[in-house]
Order: sequence, then structure tokens, then C-alpha cells
Amino acid sequence: MAVGASSRPEVTSQTEVDITTQLRKHPRVGETLIEAFLFICGAVSILTTVGIVFVLAEESLLFFTSGEVSLTEFFTGTVWQPAIGQFGIWALMNATFTVTIIAMIVALPLGLAVAIYLSEYASLRVRSILKPILEVLAGIPTVVYGYFALTFMTPVLRNIFGDNVVQIYNTASAGIVIGILILPLVSSMAEDALSAVPGSLRQAAFGLGATKLETAVQVVLPAAVSGIAAAFIVAISRAIGETMVVAIAAGAGPKFTFNPFEAAETMTGHIVRISGGDLSYDSIDYNSIFAIGLVLFCITLVLNIISRYVVAHFREEYE
Amino acid sequence: MSQDLQPGNIGSYPEDNDLKKFIDNRKRGGLLWRLSFQLATLIAILALLALLYNIFNGAFGYVALQNKVDPNALVLAMEEDQMLSSPKTVSSEDDNELVKRIENNPNAIGFFGYAYYNDNTDKLKLVSVEGQTPSRETAESGEYPLARPLFIYSAADVMQENRAIGAFIDYYLTNVNTVIEDVGYFPISDELLNGATTSWSEAVGDQAEALQSYAANPADVSDHDIRISGSSTVYPLTRQMAIQFRRAGFQGGLDLQQTGTTAGFRAFCEDMTADITNASRPITRAESEACGDKKRTPVEFRVGTDALAIAVSSKNTFLENVTKDELRQIFTTAETWSDVNPAWPNEPIERFIPGADSGTLDFFAETVFNRKLPELTESELVKILEANISTGLMRRYEAEKPLAERSQAELVDLVLERVVEQKVVGSWKFTESLFNRTKIEEEVARIPQGELQWRSWISPKFLITPQSSTPELAGVRTALFGTLWVIAITILVALPIGVGAAIYLEEYAVMVANPILRRVNAIIQTNINNLAGVPSIIYGILGLAIFVRAIEPITSGTLFGISDPTTANGRTIISASFTLALLILPLIIINAQEAIRAVPNSLRQAGMGLGATRWQTIWSHVLPNAIPGILTGNILAMSRAIGETAPLVVIGASTFITVDPTSPFSKFTVLPIQIYQWVSRPQPEFRNIAAAAIIVLLILLLTLNASAVILRNRYSRRLS
Amino acid sequence: MSTTGVPTSNGKYALELQDVHCYYGSFRAVKDVNLKLHDKKITAFIGPSGCGKSTVLRALNRMNDLIPGGRVEGRILLRGKNLYDQDVDPVEVRRRIGMVFQKPNPFPKSIFDNIAWGAKINGFKGNMKELVEQSLRSAALWDEVKDKLDQSGLGLSGGQQQRLCIARAIATQPEIILMDEPCSALDPIATLKIEDLMRELVKNYTIVIVTHNMQQAARASDYTAYYLMDRSDRAGELVEYGETDQLFTNPKDKRTEDYITGRFG
Repeated sequence: MAVGASSRPEVTSQTEVDITTQLRKHPRVGETLIEAFLFICGAVSILTTVGIVFVLAEESLLFFTSGEVSLTEFFTGTVWQPAIGQFGIWALMNATFTVTIIAMIVALPLGLAVAIYLSEYASLRVRSILKPILEVLAGIPTVVYGYFALTFMTPVLRNIFGDNVVQIYNTASAGIVIGILILPLVSSMAEDALSAVPGSLRQAAFGLGATKLETAVQVVLPAAVSGIAAAFIVAISRAIGETMVVAIAAGAGPKFTFNPFEAAETMTGHIVRISGGDLSYDSIDYNSIFAIGLVLFCITLVLNIISRYVVAHFREEYE
Repeated sequence: MSQDLQPGNIGSYPEDNDLKKFIDNRKRGGLLWRLSFQLATLIAILALLALLYNIFNGAFGYVALQNKVDPNALVLAMEEDQMLSSPKTVSSEDDNELVKRIENNPNAIGFFGYAYYNDNTDKLKLVSVEGQTPSRETAESGEYPLARPLFIYSAADVMQENRAIGAFIDYYLTNVNTVIEDVGYFPISDELLNGATTSWSEAVGDQAEALQSYAANPADVSDHDIRISGSSTVYPLTRQMAIQFRRAGFQGGLDLQQTGTTAGFRAFCEDMTADITNASRPITRAESEACGDKKRTPVEFRVGTDALAIAVSSKNTFLENVTKDELRQIFTTAETWSDVNPAWPNEPIERFIPGADSGTLDFFAETVFNRKLPELTESELVKILEANISTGLMRRYEAEKPLAERSQAELVDLVLERVVEQKVVGSWKFTESLFNRTKIEEEVARIPQGELQWRSWISPKFLITPQSSTPELAGVRTALFGTLWVIAITILVALPIGVGAAIYLEEYAVMVANPILRRVNAIIQTNINNLAGVPSIIYGILGLAIFVRAIEPITSGTLFGISDPTTANGRTIISASFTLALLILPLIIINAQEAIRAVPNSLRQAGMGLGATRWQTIWSHVLPNAIPGILTGNILAMSRAIGETAPLVVIGASTFITVDPTSPFSKFTVLPIQIYQWVSRPQPEFRNIAAAAIIVLLILLLTLNASAVILRNRYSRRLS
Repeated sequence: MSTTGVPTSNGKYALELQDVHCYYGSFRAVKDVNLKLHDKKITAFIGPSGCGKSTVLRALNRMNDLIPGGRVEGRILLRGKNLYDQDVDPVEVRRRIGMVFQKPNPFPKSIFDNIAWGAKINGFKGNMKELVEQSLRSAALWDEVKDKLDQSGLGLSGGQQQRLCIARAIATQPEIILMDEPCSALDPIATLKIEDLMRELVKNYTIVIVTHNMQQAARASDYTAYYLMDRSDRAGELVEYGETDQLFTNPKDKRTEDYITGRFG
């Protein structure tokens, strides 16, 4: 062999040097600096959260201590008219919930059905066509959905129900379109959950003489229920936080109404409209968007935490 | 198995036929559900198609353009101007003068109303055009190219209610042929005249006899007024008839205007300010329907034919016939006869033409040149510009880009924009344009100076023009630049931080022994997952409070003394980029984490086993292998950032700017904001440009994603 | 060479393990190992799955540090210096004690770079080409790859890949080479080549090999250590250690005998 004694002298000579010196820790400044930098990168996310909480809390505090609005009034009132000092968040929250409920009526059944079809029925070829289509749907910016709601869905609704029933701006149109917007989210998350169910479970069901539907609905679906529930919750959170569609199609004026064909402004829509104008930093309007933001943040945060909890605590048994 | 566990003892399953039925039932239910699942999928696909269709539908279609100035008139004026300024051209309002100058000059040529030739057949030689000699017959049939019909129009109810009108028209038809040749036009054949009389009788019905008697004795209808409008060509004839009618005793008001045929029809049909209108062309369907809307049924009376004579001296020996194209050259660019036709002598052409104000010159130019604005040459377009816009404005355009260097298309655009002042006054969607064409045409025909045009709202021009308050002139240039700036900085900020955080969490955090630090790392991870679910508008609020307000000196650039002079606040590109960077950070981190996790552990061990430090191993082995995944995640995040609208509205993207951003401290607008603003405008044309801008946005996103796929494929091929 | 085929020890020890316990989190995977590894000899670690032999091997160059919760108690002495002392740099340890893994794991780089990288990061200054050639020759791979040094290491066969990994380890000129079941993913012919290679390499290096294959241990090693999991606390322990011939022909411990005669459950 070529590496003979000739290539070894370094090692032999090294043996004469003190082994402790040889193995001693080098001060690897570069490594430490890099690790520190990487840690800071990670910490930026903490700073973001802290920033969000701090900013929302601080400005909301200003809002509630301004003397113009009390907490009770804020959380129980149904009139939002800053001009006359009325700040009842239900005027906005009600619209948000209307839009969300309509969106869910569209997105949940459709999304789940699509997921079941993709995971249990569709051939590989069909899947390879359908999945990119859903991805395209998911990748379209929300402002485009806003355009769609206003220039397509609203005219369609007005054609069906009549121009005097459906206003030009209405929560139904925005809700339906948000439903379409989050459909790919629901279907892909639900499909992931369904696909994660081990094939052996399906085979067991088929082996007992179950039909495809019985297997899908009575065996696979219950096994994936935590993932699907999580998908639904995330979808709700997403619908509540969705902004551009409602800003464009739902209307620009807070209104406490349960009629989905009437215009009403959601929390997000209100924030966008108020801040879209030339906003004075000292006005109560400016502070109010932080208070609304805080409510919005809390709702979505709680929903997200619930969804993660559901996944984390009900999933293991099937893995 | 023991006996008592046999199914038969404790119950039974369906057998034989029952079993078959039972299974069939279950299968039927299964099929039904399967169909419903498929239906749901179909709905999802249809939704996507509807979305795309709707965008496409808005971005293409007919528009109604309204011109402040008729482009045909511009061309005509330019052509006439060219004729008048050609060398050796004499123009005179006095036709006799023209005749006199031509008669003795063998190189002279001229044109005038046929009547003047008729008076001078001994001195002049008539030249045929396209092989046709003008005569009452060829003119009436239209075989002779330089001829046009003359009409007057009125309506049955007008003639019945206003006896003066009914009587005047009868008088007109009875007597027109006695004066028409004096005015300079061809009389029409008896056949056509009889036809006109019949139309009159039918229109007035049982009043015919009474009206005929009034025509014989116009004084009896002097209690009525007559208002006549329309063609300036027919005007002299009608004027002559009106004079005679008055001479015959009519004492009522007689208002005779020459407004041009089109305006005449408008006055007659829509404004109802005229009872009779003169016309040198038949009424169009749209004009007729506009009349119908006002319950006025126009009745047409042919009263004569106008023809021009091309004449040379009787001493001219070479010219017998010319084509229209030769005519154009003879009266404009050619200098000698041989320039036009080598068989003709090499002598200068001497031109004698009617004055600029005469209808004859207009008619000649219209018929012989008959060109549209887009067909003109560069120099002709420049002439139009020079004639119609102020020298100051001209100098400005010259400074922007010398007119001589501009292409024909650019010059046409400039003429349309500055001289014609074309405006979009109506727009239709793609499908409407395809299926409702006739209805659209009718609507457009009702617009004065209106014109229908197919328009693609998205065009190269749309990309390079800045924002404008006029939708047809607006473009996305500023927004496009804004988007590129914002995204570039966003990625520069978010990518290193995001990948860094992912490396930390995947490669370092798990190795940490310190329990407090371990806790911190766990919090970081949970926190990132939670941040990914925070609505984007919340980030906008954060950006507004922190980047726009709290650190305004930095984000406005004033701290560095490089703030944009147009804006000294924090609503700048850099604020937008920071906000979006925070927004997409969780996305980048989560994706990068997945990519890093997918790198096989054996590579790390191999690296570390060789005595590499952790960072050396990460840098040389983990990252290169994770790059495709990181890249994909990054592109996804970028797409998300490009499409984000709400947070940027909140931090205060500019609502209207036309200046390209020049630095991170410029104020800005981005494509989605532009779309949002245009969608929010009530005018339909803004919806059209919103659709066009959406297409630009979607193409941008598509290109980005496609390039990511290509990049990733190339990279991963090189790795394996 | 002794008549038994086991080269006599030069009396030096490459590594000395004193009261070594290995932990994963709170779980003790290996307990109380005392062992002296002979210099320039091949020592094989054998034993059934889960007996902790790989864990001990990994402890020798502090690879266990890389497993979250991995921890070693006791002393592992390299020329008298405890590798687990506070002032010892694990990176430095791994440089001197190289490792070859169970599954061939060449970097997705060229053959040349696979070898050069380790040298580069360890600050090798000199003729890189020569180092690569020497290392490949030492790993008996040179003739097979000399014309395609710029091709990806992943393009080689499994046996070649493993020899590439050995060449890569040699290039950093370690004192000891640890091999964690280096042949388990290879066919018999490739295995034989690796064993031949080990016999060559041992002239210059101390080699420690973990193997599942008793024949391999019997064929290729000079010394053998037999590990077994103690049923009472599920921790692996060293049962017997000695010259390979002696251990296989005349085991002192009943448990060893059961294992090598195949009576082990």
C-alpha cells in the first residue's frame, strides 16, 4: 500500500507533543458568532410576536382610556359610528361572522368532499391534474378574489335573487368567494389527514366486505377526524382574517344586520378602509383600528392554538 | 367453532338474492356519494375557470370611443392643405376664373362642379375617371366615381302637422329640376323623381291634395315656420328652392343651416331642432333607429346628383382618362406630367382647384384620397400635429423624444391623444362584445363622433405607462416598479433571517442542553407556527405602528439624509418591505426547516466524523442539499408577498403616484394596491384596467413559479 | 506474527476506556465498560442487536454528542488524556479518530471533492491531488476511479462507495479509524475487499469495527469484545474481551460461548 511509513511521520511526531495541547478546545469565534447570529434570526419571530402584542395592547389601552368608549360598550354595542362616539364592535363582528359562516357553508363540505375524492377515489392521473389546479386556486392573490366577488359573484346573485333584494355590496357574495378562496386550504389539509391514515386500515375494512364509500366514510374519515377538525378550524381562522375580498365586495359602512344580501363592514374591512385614507395618528379612529386588531388577533390566535391542540392530542392513536 | 356461535343460531346474514340486492343497494348509495364528491371537485374547477374567465372577460372587448375632433376631418384638412400648398397650384372660389386659366394652358388641369364644365364645353376637355365619363346616368348610378347623391329628409308626422313643410317639399320636388343645373348638379331621372313624389304622397296620406294646393299657393301656410339643417352640399340647392318658395308667397319663418349631414340627422332625429335635413348620403340604420326612438320615421327624397368634372384645356392632347391614384398624384406630389405617367410630357403640372372653403374641394379630397388616420405617413402626421397643437406643447414633445425619431404608430397615438382627444365613453366585456355586437353598434352610433373599437386593455403600452386618472391612458408602470422594489428588499431581509432561523431550530436548538435555552427554543418553534396563522392585516397594523411611525427617521431615510423629497414620512418602500418580510418569515422558516430536515443525517455524520465543525458541515453539506427545498419555499413566500394587499394598504401605500420609485425611501404603490383601487372605482373602464392589471400580476406570479420549478429541477439534477 | 495469526501487541494502547457509561437522556444504554484498545490492531465489537456496541463505538470519537440527550460518563483516554474532559474539543477528537458508517455515505460531490473536503476543512496545506491519490490507493480504490475523479461519488457501487468513505477518513490522517458495521450493506465480494483493506490499513492505523457478523470478526480482527444487554436494566455491558482466536475457541464466559455457538436466543 502506498500510504506507508512515509506518510505517517506527522502522526509520530505529534505523539511526542502533549496530547492535552493537541486536543485542547480552540476558541472557535466564528462558530460562536454564527450560532449567535442564527439564534437571533430565530428570536426575530419572538420579537415579532412581542411587537404585535405590545403595539396592539398599547394603542388599545389609549383607545379605552380616551374616555370616549368603555369596555362594556365596546364589547356589547351594536352601533359603530365614531362620529357620534359609538364604538360597538358587534356591528363589525356580526358582519365578520356572517361572512365566515357563509364561507364555511361553501368551503367545508366542498373541501371535505374534494379531499375524500382525491384521497380515496381519484386515480393517480386524475390527482396529478387536480392537485395543481387546487394549488393554482390557492396561489391566486386575495385581491383577485375581491375582483371576482364584485364583478362576477355579485351580478350572479343579483340575477338570481333580484336587484332589489341583493345590494351591490353584500356579505353573501364576499362570503361565497372567501369560501372558494379557502377551499384549497381545507381540501389539502383534509387530504393530508386522510392520506396519513395507514393503508392497512383500509385493507382491513375492504377485507370485511365494506364498499369503497363505507371504507372511506366509516373507517378512514373517523381515523382522520382530528386532522380534518384542525383543517376546519384553520379555515375558520383564515376566513375571519381575510381582508381584501370583504374590503372590495362586502361594503363600506358598519351595519348590524343579519341579512347577507345587505352591505356590512367586517372588522378587517373596517381596518383597511380607515387606514386607507389619510389617517391622523392622534385620532380616535387611529386608535380604534388597534382595538379591532387586538380582538381579531385574539380570535385567530385562539383558533390556531385549538387547531394545533386538536392535532397534537388526538392524532397519535392512528400512527 | 362451537355450535351455538354459528350465525344461524343468533341471527342471520342476507343470502342469495337478498345478498345481491343488499350489496347492490349499498353500491348504489356509494355511487351516489361518489358522484357528489366528483361534483364538489367539479365545482372547485369551475370556480377557478369562472375566476379566470371573469378576468379575461374584463380585459378584452369593445370600447366606444368618442372623438373631440373627427379624425377623418383632420385627414381631409391635411390632404386639402397638401393640395393647396403643392407647387403651381392656383386656388379660386370663382369657378369661372378657373375655367379661364385652364382653357389656354395645355399643361393645366382642374376640377369643379359638372355644371361649370357644361357651360364651357368648347374651351375645356372632359377627362374620364377610371374609364367613366360623367353624365346624368353614370353619376346617378354611381359608376362615375366622383359623384354622390343629394337627398332631403323629413318625416310623415312633421309634414302632416306642419303644413308648410309638406307644401315646401312638394314644391321642392315639383320644381327642383328647373333650377338644379344652375346650381351645378345633375338632375335626377324622372323615375327617381317620381319615386320621391310617391314617397311624399304616401307619407302625407289624405292631406296630399290640400298640401299640393298650398304648394301652389305658399302664402296660405305662412303661419308655420320651416327649419332646415344638414349637408352643405345640398345647401345651395335647397337655398335656391327656399328663395323661390318665398318668392311664390311664403312668409313664415325660414331657418336654413348648413351643419353637415351627420349633424343634420342629429338635429332632425334626436334634438328635433330641424324639420327637414339635407344629406349627401343615405341615412344609416343607427340614425334611422335613433329617429324611431323619438317616434319619427324619416322619409327620404332624392333630389339630385352631384358630380365633379376633371377638366383640361381643349388644347391638351395627351390626357383622356385618369385613375383615382393618378388623380391623387396629379393634385399633390407630382411635379411634371411624366412623373405620373411616363407616356405624358415632361412638362410641369399646373393645378387649378376650388377654394379651401368649398364643399367641392372636400368632396374631391374625400373621394380621391379616402384615407384614414392610421394610414398616413410620419411626415403627414407631424403636419397634423403642427397644425393643431401649440408650439409650446410641440416643443415639449420634441424634447421628450424628437418627433422625427418616433414611429408612425407612436405619432398616430399622439395625434389621437392630443388632437383627436379620443376618450373611452363606454366599454363592453368580452362575451358581450361577441354576442351583442349589433346592440353595441347601435349604442355607439348614437354617440356623436363615436366610434367602436376592439380593445385589449392589456398591452405593452399598459406596462410602460404610469398611473393616470383617465382609465384608457393609465398603466401599471409605477406599480410594477413598486412591486419589484418591495419584493427585492423583502426577500433580501426575510431570506437570510428565515433560513438562519430554520438552521438554528433544526441544527442547533435540538443540541442545546441548557433547560432555559431549551424552553426558549421550544417557544420560538411554537411561536413561529402561531405567527403563520396571524391574519396579514395584523402585520399591517404592526408595520404601521413600528416601521411607519416608531422608526420613521430610519424608514423615511431622513436619518441618513437621503429621504425622497416627495415624501418625508415613513410610508416608504422600506417600511412595506420590512412588514412583508415579517409576514413571510414564518412561511420561509417552516419551509426551510422541512428542507433541512429532509437532508439525510448520514451526511451530517460523515461531515462531523471527519472532524468538521458543525457550521462547516452545515455550510458544505446540509445547505447545498436543502437549497432546492429552501428555494421552493422562498418562491412560495415571494408569491404570497407579491399578492399581499391588506397590510400595505394599512401601512399607507400611495393611492396615486406617477413617479417611478428611485430608492428604498420612495413612496410607492404595488400591483395589488393598484388593482384594489381600480376595482373600487365605479366607472366600468377602471374594472377593465383592473382586469388587465390582474393579468399582469398573475403572469408575474406564474413566471416566478415556473422559474422556481426550472431552477429547482436544474439544481437537483446537478446534485445527483 | 504469532502462530495463531494474531500479531503480538506492541504493548501500546491506542485508547483506554475506564468505567464508561453511555446515556440517552435518562436512559443508560451502556454500563461500566472497561477496555484497552491495542495500538495498530483491529478490534471487533460483537454482540446481539441493542447490546450497545455501536454506542460504545460512537462514544470513542464523541459522535454521541450529536444525538440530542447523548451523554457519556467515565473516562476514555487517548494517550492518557480523557476525551471527555471539559477542555477537549470534540471536533479535534473526531479529526484524530475517524469514522466509517454502516451505510456508505459519500457526499453528493465529486470523488475528488469527497476526499479533499475533509482535508480542506482540517487545514491541509500541500499537494491535494497527491493526497487524494494516496488516500484512494490506500483504500484500494485508485485503479477503479482514477479516470473519473470529477464524477459524483454517488455514482459508485456500494462497495466502492464504502471504500471511498474509508479513503475520505484516511485523508485526514487520523490515528484511529472507527468502523460501524461497514459491510452490512455490501455484498460478499465487496465485503471481502473491505476486510482485505482493513488488514492493510491496520499496519498504520488502529481500527475498531462493530460487526453483526461473527465470521467477519473471526476473520478480520485481532481482538474481540463481546457485549450483551443486561436484561435487568436493559443496559449493554461488556461481557468478555480478549484475543480473537482465544475468544472464539475458548471463551471464558458462558454467555459468550452461547453466542458464538449460536445458542443465543
